[in-house]
Amino acid sequence: MTQQVRDLVEKYYPNFPIRHSGKIYRDTTEFMNISYGDVIFIDGLHYMVLRDEVERRFGIDDPKYWVKRCKVLETGERKIVKLVFYEKFPITFGNTKILCHRSPEKEARILDIVRGDMRFMQGFSSHDDVNNNMRVIDIIRGRSLDIEVHGIEEGHETYFMESFPVILEKFIGACEAIGFLHGHGEKHGDVRRDHIWIKSKTKEYCWIDFDYTYDFSQNPFALDLFGLGNILIFIVGKGDCTVGSMLEKGFTEDDMDRLSRDDFSIIFQHRLVNLRKIYPYIPEKLNNVMLHFSLGSNVYYDTVDEMLDDLRPCLDILGP
Amino acid sequence: MNPKKILIAVDASENALRAVEYTGEIVGNSEEFHIELLTIERFSDRDLFATDEEWKEKCGERQQAYKDFLAKARQILIDRGVLEGNILERYIDSCKSPLRPPSHECSIGTNIAQEIMNIIKDEGFGTVVIGRRGVSKEVEFLFGSVSTKIVHYAKGCTVWVVS
Repeated sequence: MTQQVRDLVEKYYPNFPIRHSGKIYRDTTEFMNISYGDVIFIDGLHYMVLRDEVERRFGIDDPKYWVKRCKVLETGERKIVKLVFYEKFPITFGNTKILCHRSPEKEARILDIVRGDMRFMQGFSSHDDVNNNMRVIDIIRGRSLDIEVHGIEEGHETYFMESFPVILEKFIGACEAIGFLHGHGEKHGDVRRDHIWIKSKTKEYCWIDFDYTYDFSQNPFALDLFGLGNILIFIVGKGDCTVGSMLEKGFTEDDMDRLSRDDFSIIFQHRLVNLRKIYPYIPEKLNNVMLHFSLGSNVYYDTVDEMLDDLRPCLDILGP
Repeated sequence: MNPKKILIAVDASENALRAVEYTGEIVGNSEEFHIELLTIERFSDRDLFATDEEWKEKCGERQQAYKDFLAKARQILIDRGVLEGNILERYIDSCKSPLRPPSHECSIGTNIAQEIMNIIKDEGFGTVVIGRRGVSKEVEFLFGSVSTKIVHYAKGCTVWVVS
């Protein structure tokens, strides 16, 4: 505990248990050592660490030690501070492995591009004394798209007729946002349904976490497009439709027999894409957009705009 | 369009090599044919490297491989009888390249097939030759297939897909 932190706490955060006051970090290289009660110095302000952020995977909280939930002592604001963590790991798409990288510089660049554009998380980047990039991110009050969709209790047909048109409209806006990034030569890098946050107050859709990138120079935006396709299939289906989940939902073996391999995802071969076969009220026009992501397709979208050209007209034919 | 004005789009792959060999066999020493070997540079993103130096080094290695391939392709054509004066080489840098001289022609790299098609149209090539990887649908979906896109986009020219 340093006297300096103790003084800051007494001045700005008197309710904080003083015995937990830590030290001030101007070098964030050893981010694992920075924990509750420590303070990160960024651009003249003191960010007190409250906890490490966690990502929930498979029902387990996975701590992200390089991402700190903080309170700015001078202003009282809560912020997320993302520190430098260079990581490389393979991700598997079907039978194909792609090397993924975490790039703080990429995320910092995108934060600059999207400043003031509320379709994206907001924040800024700075550097510590040894030039480590630090991103200071505004906290979004809300919940992720997947939680939102799973929380809708109606059966599929009611959901599709009543809730889905609004979700699709918002999703189209989210796709346009990704197209905007591509127009600036940037990819999101990790387009997933839990990376769209729905703001509690405004219900706006907001993309988070842009620090992934991958070695994919041959088709740089393909994974983003694939991610958008997956989200579309998820929101149309009100969840993933796999053979297992379909049986749980009461579909019969006869229903399964009507499906062919071509009806499933080109990459995730257990996920049904041709949802119209089990939900016949899904308009053909909308189903055709999803089929671009099926094994049976020979035509793929090259750009977000191509997908949106097919998707926007679907809004006019939805609803009860 | 002049069908005897041929563009061979090559990277440094085995498939491209086959495309060059095939074209050489077909054209032989016929004087009316003019062949341009085209390479459009593609580098890994800067974001994938910790330092500028590492990135530049990798780009340099890749560029050398492309240029070595162009030289090899030219020699293959000559060996099959194509007249030296009828072969042109063209190398287009990536716009993101750290090695690119300023104000040099460059490729944005987001749609190589479209860039090739633009050259074909603007410069009156009647035939385009391209190698094909023969990959699964899954790989084609993810990585894209320049040959598939060229077949899809091509208008007013003949496409030879060598697989």
